[in-house]
Amino acid sequence: MDLHLHRADYLQVGVTSQKTMKLLPAARHGATQKVVVGDHDGVVLCFGMKKGEAVAVFKTLPGQKVARLELGGLLNMPQEKIFIAAGSEIRGFTKRGKQFLSFETNLTESIKAMHISGSDLFLSASYIYNHYCDCKDQHYYLSGDKINDVICLPAERVPRVTPVLACQDRLLRVLQGSDVVYEIEVPGPPTVLALHNGNGGDSGEDLVFGTSDGKLGLVQITASKPIHKWEIRNEKKRGGILCVDSFDIVGDGVKDVLVGRDDGTVEVYSFDSANEPVLRFDQVLSESVTSIQGGCVGKDGYDEIVLSTYSGWVTGLTTEPVHRESGPGEELKLNQEMQSKISSLRSELEHLQYKVLQEREKDQQASQSSKARSAAPSFSINDKFTLNTDDASYSLILEVQTAIDNVLIQSDVPIDLLDVDKNSAVVSFSSCDSESSDNFLLATYRCQANTTRLELKIRSIEGQYGTLQAYVTPRIHPKTCQVRQYLIRPLSLHQRSHCIDHDRPMNTLTLTGQFSFAEVHSWVVFCLPEVPEKPPAGECVTFHFQNTFLDTQLESTYRKGEGVFKSDNISTISILKDVLSKEATKKKINLNISYEINEGSVKHTLELIHPKLEYQLLLAKKVQLIDALKELQVHEGNTNFLIPEYRCILEEADQLQEEYKKQPAHLERLYGMITDLFIDKFKFKGTNVKTKVPLLLEILDSYDQNALIAFFDAA
Amino acid sequence: MLLPVFTLKLRHKISPRMVAIGRYDGTHPCLAAATQAGKVFIHNPHTRSQHFNAPRVFQSPLESDVSLLNINQAVSCLTAGVLNPELGYDALLVGTQTNLLAYDVYNNSDFFYREVADGANAIVLGTLGDISSPLAIIGGNCALQGFDHEGNDLFWTVTGDNVHSLALCDFDSDGKKELLVGSEDFDIRVFKEDEIVAEMTETEIITSLCPMYGSRFGYALSNGTVGVYDKTARYWRIKSKNHAMSIHAFDLNSDGVCELITGWSNGKVDARSDRTGEVIFKDNFSSAVAGVIEGDYLLDGHAQLICCSVDGEIRGYLPGSAEMRGNLMDTSIEQDLIRELTQKKQNLLLELRNYEENAKAEVSSSLNEADGQRGIIPANTKLHTALSVNLGNETQAAHAELCISTSNDTIIRAVLIFAEGIFLGESHVVHPSIHSLSSSIRIPITPPKDVPVDLHLKTFVGYRSSTQFHVFELTRQLPRFSMYALTSPDSASQPLSYVNFTIAERAQRVVIWLHQNFLLPEDTNIQNAPFQVCFTSLRNGSQLYIKIKLSGEITVNTDDIDLAGDIIQSMASFFAIEDLQVEADFPVYFEELRKVLIKVDEYHSVHQKLSADMADNSNLIRSLLVRAEDARLMRDMKTMKNRYMELYDLNKDLLNGYKIRCNNHTELLGNLKAVNQAIQRAGRLRVGKPKNQVITACRDAIRSNNINTLFRIMRVGTASS
Repeated sequence: MDLHLHRADYLQVGVTSQKTMKLLPAARHGATQKVVVGDHDGVVLCFGMKKGEAVAVFKTLPGQKVARLELGGLLNMPQEKIFIAAGSEIRGFTKRGKQFLSFETNLTESIKAMHISGSDLFLSASYIYNHYCDCKDQHYYLSGDKINDVICLPAERVPRVTPVLACQDRLLRVLQGSDVVYEIEVPGPPTVLALHNGNGGDSGEDLVFGTSDGKLGLVQITASKPIHKWEIRNEKKRGGILCVDSFDIVGDGVKDVLVGRDDGTVEVYSFDSANEPVLRFDQVLSESVTSIQGGCVGKDGYDEIVLSTYSGWVTGLTTEPVHRESGPGEELKLNQEMQSKISSLRSELEHLQYKVLQEREKDQQASQSSKARSAAPSFSINDKFTLNTDDASYSLILEVQTAIDNVLIQSDVPIDLLDVDKNSAVVSFSSCDSESSDNFLLATYRCQANTTRLELKIRSIEGQYGTLQAYVTPRIHPKTCQVRQYLIRPLSLHQRSHCIDHDRPMNTLTLTGQFSFAEVHSWVVFCLPEVPEKPPAGECVTFHFQNTFLDTQLESTYRKGEGVFKSDNISTISILKDVLSKEATKKKINLNISYEINEGSVKHTLELIHPKLEYQLLLAKKVQLIDALKELQVHEGNTNFLIPEYRCILEEADQLQEEYKKQPAHLERLYGMITDLFIDKFKFKGTNVKTKVPLLLEILDSYDQNALIAFFDAA
Repeated sequence: MLLPVFTLKLRHKISPRMVAIGRYDGTHPCLAAATQAGKVFIHNPHTRSQHFNAPRVFQSPLESDVSLLNINQAVSCLTAGVLNPELGYDALLVGTQTNLLAYDVYNNSDFFYREVADGANAIVLGTLGDISSPLAIIGGNCALQGFDHEGNDLFWTVTGDNVHSLALCDFDSDGKKELLVGSEDFDIRVFKEDEIVAEMTETEIITSLCPMYGSRFGYALSNGTVGVYDKTARYWRIKSKNHAMSIHAFDLNSDGVCELITGWSNGKVDARSDRTGEVIFKDNFSSAVAGVIEGDYLLDGHAQLICCSVDGEIRGYLPGSAEMRGNLMDTSIEQDLIRELTQKKQNLLLELRNYEENAKAEVSSSLNEADGQRGIIPANTKLHTALSVNLGNETQAAHAELCISTSNDTIIRAVLIFAEGIFLGESHVVHPSIHSLSSSIRIPITPPKDVPVDLHLKTFVGYRSSTQFHVFELTRQLPRFSMYALTSPDSASQPLSYVNFTIAERAQRVVIWLHQNFLLPEDTNIQNAPFQVCFTSLRNGSQLYIKIKLSGEITVNTDDIDLAGDIIQSMASFFAIEDLQVEADFPVYFEELRKVLIKVDEYHSVHQKLSADMADNSNLIRSLLVRAEDARLMRDMKTMKNRYMELYDLNKDLLNGYKIRCNNHTELLGNLKAVNQAIQRAGRLRVGKPKNQVITACRDAIRSNNINTLFRIMRVGTASS
């Protein structure tokens, strides 16, 4: 059965954060539910739909921005009390809008995530987790990296209280009291957690997680160890997951998983007979989906997916058919409803317009005086700058609450800006004089009308570091722009990992000197992505990294006065050495740098590169042949006379071309890295081999692994 | 939602823009398209049993209802339609870089096969002006040629640059068709038979043109712009990052007015309202769209819109029925309207809130660091802009300069200039490094062409530590001749070339024209007539003199014939002169042209000789092959071997000969282009009737190969002395 859902926009509130919209439980089965939503202005709005018109039940006064909104109540009773987290405060409202709770947590940071179960309250700020029971402090945990979400296994079904934290370092931390029981490694930084089926599945221990790189998975949290059930990889390169819910929208008696992503995609996964998730429905909206829930809002008896978006739209994707089978009279009535809605909106607009004009005039007059100030209107930008592991490039996503007019991208490091198919903005590269003004890239994106979200792809080179700046100008009056800065780190293509292969030949870089733990930590933060800004607890810390492009690894262990960096890639060590000594000199700290080079590591790295290089060369060769072979096919009519290899190319032509298109300049990047490896190898020996680089490129042109290794050895 | 009524997947690639539908047997519409390897395929789904099988055409081995036509040369344009009204069926016309073939598919014979020296980049079929028979008009290397069904050359004229697109449209609403020509120099020219009646300058190469209805027509540029003109006025245009591959006018929502259907390089097809450019329908293909055409492919009496992708996917759409009320997309208009209104409301609320905050900010006293960061600046901040000429120094070449400064201590973080045609892309950014931020900024501008340009400036103003900036938006016009600096006259270096003409205008008006079109220093004071002004080009340092006598006689001295033409055209439009006869002399340029003409003759004769050689050689090959095979049959292996060796050598010679011919041909094309351009330039020195007279007379002189007359025409404007 195909799932057909129709979109119906209900209303717009202010900008919303992740997980800030919920449906209140229905009074009876199949009846319409009320929607409650909190926004960045601090307003909590509860409304229901009556005859296609949104009718507010209550609306609070503006305040601090609402970071989370959850429903609670007594266990095993309808969960209809509304709790919001704003700043460091938790407030509770009844479904009628009466405030019954105001709890100042006294956390130093503002609350980022919240979970409520009976009288238990689980909160997390950036790094701190706190458990309260009846507003009394129970447990506390300081996490090693940012906490994105918190959840607790259902108290009704699992006897022990088991909170789970989703942490930025790709770990789910399972707690017991104030201690970690165990950690679960997940394929990406987890951003959202949800109970499977809304109640934890059969065992009550099943947890669905979504990651910022768009992966979705299910783990069972048993008392002693995790059991991975399934995982959906992000093959289509959709956006990161922001919200997950369970609801039977397909109508087959099994709850489906509803997923909302930050590129505006809404997906429905249902389960086949083997309990494996299957994609049943997807629709793309134009902006991030911040909250999602299944229920019934628009009309009795019709299930729907209700979602809220970044700019505050509350929208339903309903099973109610657009063209209802009814007499022509009703259609007319429906039209009239629409018309009256439009005309009331129009009159409201006129009124506003008049007010704005008045204000504008006042402003104009005020600008005559020399004492008057003019502030740029503030607007919020939702941005994300992440490394894509599969093609080792960064993607920058900018989202604004109103339409974007243009974006200026400026960079003081050489980077490549790649085209993204989804973008409709017209890009224009400007010539830049890098010597006098530190610009290596100046590009403008002129957006088409109604673009609120812009996605860019950036390819960086390891060793070249600096800042990327984006000046975002939205279409608001008076015109203003905001700058956002993003660091391109020296080892930009590395990502955190939690396991390391100790059998590889390793090169070691050791630093000793008069530096504090915080100082050496700040250097590591400067060099590598995905390291928490705050120095972790303890005296000595070890981080593991993996190069997403070459799969080489890096182990960094440091404490006060000493830092040890081990990598099988000599270029990584060379970059670290350069950057660290530069950073230390800036702070006027004397560093003793010693290194130990393992000759075997170069060969090892080349062997790691070899299959990639060979594959790329073969792919390039095959793609080159496709057109000629196709012509032969047209001319001869059949392909039986071709050797099997060529016939195979013809059969796979589309996939080959697709793949080739997906990774532009892959070969050039590999060549670049081999050249760096070559230069770095001899740099450590104290010889400059830059003159031999053309020779190396010649060898690469007619690639043969042994010849290359021989060249590295001989030079 | 409008869905395709049919979808076909052919296993042949389709070359972009080379798709046409014709009724080659008089009843059944068939789709013809150029494909790989110099072939044209004809898809004929209607008469399955009947196949054209003949030497030139053979059935496709991949598909039963597709026939292939071998052209053996890269096809550069293709169309189909009625060429001979008496026949009652359509002809297929295929153009290549050297030939034009008019082909009778039904009878498998040629209507004609003509050599065209200027190549055929674009083709259009139909009636032009008063010429009674339909013409196949091809546009090539600066030249336009029209052939009737017998291959007679009934129409020939030149245009400014290589032709990229052609269309027939009733431009002046006189019931007769005019020819629209889009060319590489960014101009759309309108020819009423061989007279240019209008010229519109665009910002990029015009890749497609299509008539809409009446005097309206659509156009597409190579930078992703599509739009609609009504006569010389542009109605609307939009720009996309993708390229428009093909445009076509079709009434998709049955409202009686054609929409502009565009097929894009990313596989998107959209239909836009001819009045507003608003999208009323869109669909997506998996690969780039090759062509958009219309025809009754289902044979049900209604024309369908047919879109083809380069991978051979073909979709047909019937116009939306009356019940859809023009609503072809999946969304409801009301919903969209509500969304739009709500968005507007949010924006207004945001603005209101800002004013409230401003009012609050005024209460708080002095401006501190934190305010600067939040983007608070004095409300009376103003931005000054000035355009001037900078003569340059050792490190920087001379340029026009735009100076922007703020009225107080605020700094300029960055300047974005959006302007068309003078930068690499559509914009230019100046982003000074953090150490050299100041309240004023100087931006060098060097427009490559002498055209007036609107500079849309966006200036980010704030403080050093700001993370939010005010955006000041201004538009300044860069005058047409901004790359010429006023210098003191120096008669020794006065250029020999000149144009001379008389206008009935007061000298003050000429001074106003000077002020509008040149960047004159502010203190320039030009006394009354007679006077003379001298300019130096910032591009190459050449001199330009403009002298005015009391009688209104103006002399312009410059060696640059294009510049002289630009000045005359600019004056003509400023003073609203309809006809202007001009006396001109460009000795250096004319000498070069004389050499080019001699070269053209040389290349022509070489070309003929080479062609004769090739014919000889191919005869030789034939006989050698026969003799070699004879030897093989007689088992005289030694002779056979020798013959084949000779054949091999001859083949090598042929290949070499081909290379020489190729070079010869490119040279010839280059020179022919120079000649065509010279005629065009001579025309541009005049206005109105004299202009057309010059072009016609020059062409006659070239036809009759009378070089001296040609130069006399260029000098004085007429053939008779």
